[in-house]
Amino acid sequence: MAHTKVLLVDDEKEFASALAERLQLRNYDVQAAANALEALGIVHSFRPDVVLLDLRIPGMDGIETLKAIKKFDSTIEVIMLTGHGDVQSVENGMKNGAFEYIMKPVDISELTVKINKAWQKKQVSR
Amino acid sequence: MDAQYENELRNLQMRFIGKIIAGFTHEIKNYIAIINESTGLIGDMMKVGKSVENDLPAYLDIIHSIEDHIEKTNGHFRYLNRFAHRMDSPLSSFHINESLEELIALLKRFANQKRIVFKQDYDTDKPTVYSNPAILQLIIFTFLEQNIMELEQESTITLQTTVTDQSVRVTIIPNGKRIEGSSVSIPSELLDIVIKELGGNISQDREKETIILLPLRPL
Repeated sequence: MAHTKVLLVDDEKEFASALAERLQLRNYDVQAAANALEALGIVHSFRPDVVLLDLRIPGMDGIETLKAIKKFDSTIEVIMLTGHGDVQSVENGMKNGAFEYIMKPVDISELTVKINKAWQKKQVSR
Repeated sequence: MDAQYENELRNLQMRFIGKIIAGFTHEIKNYIAIINESTGLIGDMMKVGKSVENDLPAYLDIIHSIEDHIEKTNGHFRYLNRFAHRMDSPLSSFHINESLEELIALLKRFANQKRIVFKQDYDTDKPTVYSNPAILQLIIFTFLEQNIMELEQESTITLQTTVTDQSVRVTIIPNGKRIEGSSVSIPSELLDIVIKELGGNISQDREKETIILLPLRPL
């Protein structure tokens, strides 16, 4: 599973950098973006396998960002990062093609299982 | 105040408290998430054999981040606690600047979503008003929320306090283009009744500024 390309989108820079480093230590190839615009730029250049997308990012709404990613490449799998109160956004995200969601604070083992499953789904759908 | 207005006011207050708690819990959850990842990262670094001697700056940076976010969490709890105690008595003397700071801290999350920045221009004399702090916060919250909803991204909202003869003037000044947006406002008749009960006065120009005048009383 080495070198699965992961894009982490979260405006909390310290959260993003710590989580990115933890994933890198687990052999994922990780890039991070702090807002929707930056994320879409990296999606084009980096071509991630999996995007970890915080639903409450500044700029474009998280769901709109999800739609834009899927429109660019429907095989990119998106895992939503969310707080407990975002049930409606999660449902909306799943309807719009998100692969999974994970609650913050993140359990790293649970997250890597979900990333690996998303990567496997992407290989099948290619 | 008649029962219908009373009921309407209670509903607005419930909505206001719900919004504040939602913003608060979201913010705290973010701080906990950062602390969680930071402690996890320290554990991961140790597991892969990064020694404290060789990687001391990296370890210290992470520890500093943890301390910083524990302090932020503590500060946020302080704001919420003070906010909750605003409802202890219907009328009291309180520092208006502190009350505004509390609202800004608890509303920051919503403003950040649109990259809207709050600017503070407070009277340095720390004016004290005699009013109903919970109702006053509801009124100011409603105007701030209205502006957040109706302003374009990256706008600013300035909160200004100034002392005049026998009153304190709170001015909310939006700076940015207006967009289509639905927001909740206090019906004007109800607002008139409430502000009269507070012994104050409101003048509002949606495009420009909202001015709230409140009676000044020493502590």
